[in-house]
Amino acid sequence: MTAANRHRMFFNLPEAFAHPVTKVLFTVVCAVLVLTPIIVRALAASGKIKPAHRDELMKRYRSWLIIAPMMIVPVILGSYWTICAVGVLSLLCYREFARATGLFRQKLVSLTVVLGIVLVTLSVMDHWYGFFVALGPLVVGTIAATAVLADRPRGFIQRVGLGVLAFMLFGSGLGHLGYFANDSQFVPILLMLLFTVELNDVFAYMSGKSLGHRKLAPQTSPNKTIAGSIGAILLTTPLVAILAHFVFLGTALDIPRHLVFLGLMVSVLGQLGDLLLSSVKRDLGIKDFAATFPGHGGLLDRFDSLILVAPAVFHYVGYILPYGIGADQPTRLLTGG
Amino acid sequence: MEDWKLEPAHDLGLPMTERLRSLRRESGLVETIGHHGFWASVRAYLKSWHRLRIEGRENLPAEGPFVLAANHSSHLDALVLASCVPARLRDNVFPIAAGDTFFNTPVNAIFAAGFLNALPMWRKHAGPQAMRELRQRLVDEACGYIIFPEGTRTRDGTINRFKAGLGMVVAGTRVPVIPCYLKGTFQALPPHRAVPRPRKIILRVGKSLLFDTCDNDRAGWERVAQALEAGVRELAQES
Repeated sequence: MTAANRHRMFFNLPEAFAHPVTKVLFTVVCAVLVLTPIIVRALAASGKIKPAHRDELMKRYRSWLIIAPMMIVPVILGSYWTICAVGVLSLLCYREFARATGLFRQKLVSLTVVLGIVLVTLSVMDHWYGFFVALGPLVVGTIAATAVLADRPRGFIQRVGLGVLAFMLFGSGLGHLGYFANDSQFVPILLMLLFTVELNDVFAYMSGKSLGHRKLAPQTSPNKTIAGSIGAILLTTPLVAILAHFVFLGTALDIPRHLVFLGLMVSVLGQLGDLLLSSVKRDLGIKDFAATFPGHGGLLDRFDSLILVAPAVFHYVGYILPYGIGADQPTRLLTGG
Repeated sequence: MEDWKLEPAHDLGLPMTERLRSLRRESGLVETIGHHGFWASVRAYLKSWHRLRIEGRENLPAEGPFVLAANHSSHLDALVLASCVPARLRDNVFPIAAGDTFFNTPVNAIFAAGFLNALPMWRKHAGPQAMRELRQRLVDEACGYIIFPEGTRTRDGTINRFKAGLGMVVAGTRVPVIPCYLKGTFQALPPHRAVPRPRKIILRVGKSLLFDTCDNDRAGWERVAQALEAGVRELAQES
């Protein structure tokens, strides 16, 4: 491992801001966090929003003061911090999912999923793509095998099915978000993804509020509208395309059809991820997965949009770029080989 | 055989401190590992430092639901009883502990919930609602409780009168209640001492009692308390 690599992993702070996209996104996020309370108070003072609405907005804002640094700081600090943060996020998301579905009562299955997530995180830290990919079928098989050991055939399919779904979403799926950190351009790529996926939710909310009332999926998520969904696609797609143009400047991905497809992918899969977890909540009859962030719910309620986006963007970028994500960096950092 | 139930945790959505103090608290993976590690260590400690001996081991329950009811003279009592329960049941066995002692601060609550797996009983306001919740959980989840019906530790080593509270949990149910007598814990760690002395501890486990014919009213609760007190005193008189 070279000194430059070690630097990128642990102390990337000065170089993190080298890319213009990083500078722009970081500045925008800071500006939004500074200006939001001023704007909300001004709107409340002018009577354009009611006190109850102002309190709700401020509650969400205060949660964002915690969520935004949680998302940005590890990425700025270095690749290993990013991978560890994604690993912890995966485990916490799994915890919320398991407690909501009752899977946590199946201790052996739960332990296997947790070990699977830990192994995924280690394989990402090792930059060992072969093992990272192999863990999918290996962990799924192990979940099924450990469920057999309990010798309780009744409910076997449900236990294994939930365990596999949890691992594929939070272990393998979110693991792709961490794997981006093995690329030399991981800071702008990840900030672009985090920024646009979160903004996609905001665009959907704003478009839905102002443009129409026809429901998108009333049984799954009663507040989402078709206008909101289309508005999010129309706003997020060009934003992603423009940012990705600068992030992937001069590469095979830097042509309009790929950039637009990437934007569509972020917007559509972001919304589908949201609906996916909403379906789980409706099925269980719960409103939120947890009460971690006031105004938002649990981690899963906040990060649900990333779950489908991360693997899809990872593989699309890897498919278009000649050598894929992280190909310019040394591999098997921990295991040698 | 247990059917699959797509059922959220009963403590879902509670803030951390409330969750730790909730009678509906359910253990996650980390807590389960904490409980097993803690009870294995306690068992090793009791064997080596107090030369723990169990008499009537065959009377210990093989599965839930059940209640272990014993005399109370030391903080060691709950440790002895819980560590003697079969390992596979241990995560589902809850010592009922004084809320104002074991759950009064967040740190105490983390220890009591994360390691002891205790559920709180607030002595100053232990209302019927709390008893109903304990009763419901015992029946629904087939779990185990460790209860000290005297309500507090004896200050002179003698067994005090059993209170009727336990009756509110088991009267009219088919839940077996197992009387237990703890000998030597008062000498090892009486209420006024902070550090345990290396005294021998003996746990006598009696035959289980059923109170399904008892009415779930004050008279029934008193009957439960009297029968259990008699059972524990009988065990105490065995040589």
